[in-house]
Amino acid sequence: MPSTITMPRLSDTMEAGTVIKWHVKEGDPVTSGSVVADIETDKATMEMQCFDDGVLSKILVEPGKQVPVGTPIAVVALDDDDEGEGEDQGASPSAAPAPAAAVASAPSAAAPSQSPVSVPASAAYAASPAPVADADRMRVSPIARRLADELGVDLKRLQGSGPGGRIIKRDIEEAAAEGGVSVASIPSAAAAPKSSTAITPIVSRPRTDLALNPEGREVAVSGMRQTIARRLVESKQQIPHYQVAMSVDCDALMELRGMLNTQLEPQGVKLSLNDFVVRACAIAMGRHPFFNASWAGDRIVIHGAVNIGIAVSIPAERGGGLVVAVLRDADRRGLRELSEESKSLAEKARTKGLSMEDMSDATFTISNLGMYGVDDFTAIINPPNSAILAVGAAIQQPVVRNGQLAVGTEMKLTLSLDHRVIDGAMAAQFLQTVKQTLENPATLLV
Amino acid sequence: MTVREIEYRDALNEAMSEEMRRDKRVFLLGEEVAQYDGAYKVSRGMLAEFGERRIIDTPISESGFAGMAIGAAMMGLRPIVEFMSWSFSLVAADPILNNAPKMLYMSGGQFGCPIVFRGNDGAGGQLGSTHSWCVEGLYSNVPGLKMAIPSNPYEAKGLLKTAIRDDDPVFFLESERMLGTKGHVPEEEYLIPFGQARVARTGKDITLVSFGRPVNFCLEAAEALAKEGVDCEVLDMRTIRPLDIESIVRSVKKTNRCVVVDQSWSFGSPGSEVAAQVHARCFDDLDNFVHRVHTADVPTPYATNLEAEYMPNARRITEAVRACLYLA
Repeated sequence: MPSTITMPRLSDTMEAGTVIKWHVKEGDPVTSGSVVADIETDKATMEMQCFDDGVLSKILVEPGKQVPVGTPIAVVALDDDDEGEGEDQGASPSAAPAPAAAVASAPSAAAPSQSPVSVPASAAYAASPAPVADADRMRVSPIARRLADELGVDLKRLQGSGPGGRIIKRDIEEAAAEGGVSVASIPSAAAAPKSSTAITPIVSRPRTDLALNPEGREVAVSGMRQTIARRLVESKQQIPHYQVAMSVDCDALMELRGMLNTQLEPQGVKLSLNDFVVRACAIAMGRHPFFNASWAGDRIVIHGAVNIGIAVSIPAERGGGLVVAVLRDADRRGLRELSEESKSLAEKARTKGLSMEDMSDATFTISNLGMYGVDDFTAIINPPNSAILAVGAAIQQPVVRNGQLAVGTEMKLTLSLDHRVIDGAMAAQFLQTVKQTLENPATLLV
Repeated sequence: MTVREIEYRDALNEAMSEEMRRDKRVFLLGEEVAQYDGAYKVSRGMLAEFGERRIIDTPISESGFAGMAIGAAMMGLRPIVEFMSWSFSLVAADPILNNAPKMLYMSGGQFGCPIVFRGNDGAGGQLGSTHSWCVEGLYSNVPGLKMAIPSNPYEAKGLLKTAIRDDDPVFFLESERMLGTKGHVPEEEYLIPFGQARVARTGKDITLVSFGRPVNFCLEAAEALAKEGVDCEVLDMRTIRPLDIESIVRSVKKTNRCVVVDQSWSFGSPGSEVAAQVHARCFDDLDNFVHRVHTADVPTPYATNLEAEYMPNARRITEAVRACLYLA
């Protein structure tokens, strides 16, 4: 029997996934444990492994297409399959025309009753559950997709004029032209669409004489952006946030950091200020257990492990956005280890993407915008955490030390807190611990 | 001032004669090139000018004289080998494919192979399957060689002069059907560099990529399509190896559509290579997949009407352009 690969559930909240890339093609051998595809979940892009030995006989879901969890996405002809299934491995010439025939019949899939007919009738393929109907998929030529994005044309409102309903460049140009006409003649956005290809232009004001006045446009959102939007709205709506801030004198810390980095340079170690903040918070969380806790409706759960999440921004060329990389058991690890792991996780997040394990189970989160010169800011709690720490830049400024005006380095720490778990005084005490630790940084070394 | 127009065959003759006057190492050999002035009169008068040591009649033995010329090229001479037809080069496959293009590589740089193989390529008109070869697809597959395919007399002269001066083996594919075609060729000397496509016609709606004789069919189709309001850009690639993919990419990014017109068979051809590279380089700029017009995937038919339909022609190009523009 061939084995069917289905869209895996790669996170608790994942309901659908997108195959970003197939690493194997039809007819390629696969082995258990080999990476066969990259899957984009609502949180991240992750590698998907195969659990069988055999030959990938059929790819059922093309890259870029989102399908619900559990949907068959590929078929593997197993090594121990008998001869009869050999012909399903895509290698025989007689099998090759089948997909082409399916494509050819796709335009007629406009009549819904016909779409199942377009499934090639090879044995392995038929044995798997029917793939999602192809008729629902929006077909857009690459340049049409790009133009639509540039001109702010909503593809969903268009009826494509190409084969199989493919939206082509002409459709976009016509839609944009109709949109332009309706804007010029009827300023109201309520202008009735003239035909099925009309769109509502996103223009917030009447055109002026300036021909180059830019128009608004829509940008499609990635799965990650949708997740950020959903979770942060939930957090800000459901958690009674408040903030408590405190300045930390960083003179001693800067001195210690400078000394350590000089001594450890030959070993390739370079500690960042954030590494010290992580370590100080991990120590403080041990003493203030409600900072390592979650509100659970009718009770508060205090976690065993101290796992500190650090917010990592993803560069625009990788799609932008934000992920939280998790340093597990941060209270049991030294500065050097925390530093190395932060660096490698941040690098991984920015290049190939974090795994679900890299991003799950944070019990407290730190967001640091100090490297951008931000004085101070407030962050939104990363549920189910009960607090998040926003770290500003360590800045040289006039300070009062021992009654004297002096030049010192100060850093502003701002906690956002869940008032259901942590009260103001508790927040102040936690910050005091962090402040004392950072101002007497030798304690961070032991 | 009159514009000088000469035949394609005379443009080839001028290129060879000028280069032979310029460089004593250049010589021509092949079947009937000397006493008979060339089977197609391309080398007319050359025996008289250059003598029998440099214009050499060979026996009907392509493998023998191609191999001999390769040896001469390795020793520093610059032979021009005329195949009466590229169809006859198949019996010399081992020297021209296995020796010439690999010589520099396999000798570790000790021996180059500055040689030009030239002759008629493509269906000549009712010559039947075995004498109507288009060798572009077959031979351009081999690394180490260069391939030029001129589309008119001007191109033929400029490209052949460059081929003779090139230090690598050049496969120079002429067309029997164009030998009598007249075109403007200036008196003064010029060379056409390899790897630089010519924009034979500028347009904004679709890019036609072609080389050799079919370039003329593309221009014909473009004129007809212009009457329908379709504005075609036509690129004459001039050489397949090297391939000026940058010019193709530049044009396709402008027009968003591409049709490749190639008189070789479609399977594993310059046309399929161009299509693959355009798909890779211009994926986000395409409004449709690259359409291709090739000779039909059958041995060349003998019957006149079937042969005409078998090859890329203006009607088939027009149909492909309409299909690519979703106008069909």
